[in-house]
Amino acid sequence: MDDPAVVVALLLVAAAATTAVAVRDPVRQALVLAVLGLALAVLFTVLQAPDVALSQLAVGSALTPLLLLLSVRKVRRRQKQETKGEPE
Amino acid sequence: MNGWTTAATLTFAGGVGATVWGVATGPLRRRVVAQNLSSALACPGLLLLAQGYGRPAYVDLALVLALLGPVGTLVFARLLAEELAADPPASPWATWCAAGFAAVVVLVLCAATGPGRAMVKLLVTGALLTGGNLVASRALAGGFPGGRRG
Amino acid sequence: MNRRTAFRAALGVLGWWVLLAGLWLVFVSAVDTLELVVGGVVAGIAAAAARGARGAVSGR
Repeated sequence: MDDPAVVVALLLVAAAATTAVAVRDPVRQALVLAVLGLALAVLFTVLQAPDVALSQLAVGSALTPLLLLLSVRKVRRRQKQETKGEPE
Repeated sequence: MNGWTTAATLTFAGGVGATVWGVATGPLRRRVVAQNLSSALACPGLLLLAQGYGRPAYVDLALVLALLGPVGTLVFARLLAEELAADPPASPWATWCAAGFAAVVVLVLCAATGPGRAMVKLLVTGALLTGGNLVASRALAGGFPGGRRG
Repeated sequence: MNRRTAFRAALGVLGWWVLLAGLWLVFVSAVDTLELVVGGVVAGIAAAAARGARGAVSGR
């Protein structure tokens, strides 16, 4: 813990993770999760685990937001169809 | 700790910390810009860390981030197109600052490594990073209207 | 496919191969025979794929 880089990376992860929990809207949560993945990759790098950081980058920066946004889009489309179908 | 890791720590604390703040608060257009800037600022930090630890293999991390960061931003630009069209995020100032910072870091690291394959790798990473981020921020601002359909 | 288009296709694949093999050469940590062989083969496969993708996009 005497390395300031580790302290900074841990603080970044803590701040981003707390925000990801506190934000309620799933779209904004996806944005925070992308930044959280980045912060985790930085943390793994300063802890000298570049292989873990590499897989974290691959999953966290593009794949997680894509999955979340696709699910949100599908749910919203279904809701729109249901509200359109109800009055008839 | 040496000068390189100190610079990387400052980059993470100042740059990425600011983007965490930006992505946590404010309207949606500010959040997507902050997400784009986070990868644009973390990548030079990773390059500085690779130099500071004396491990050229760590440059691969920055290379992967330079490739995948803009891809993630393009995912947001494509799937949030309807929300962003009503309130387009334009951030020329921040985008050019991040691109300039990345270019300065890459050039300093090139001067430190000297000519060779490692320098070409650094230059490729820097070109991918700046080019990808400029394209991604232009896509966020609605610069590619062909991708708005659907 | 006449001779002219075949020549152009071969030229395209060769261009992609030079680019991709050069990138491989820059990105590997140590240059030795095994790396060169693997890089050449992989760059050849990727160059053929790139040429095919280009044709699929432009000739839709």
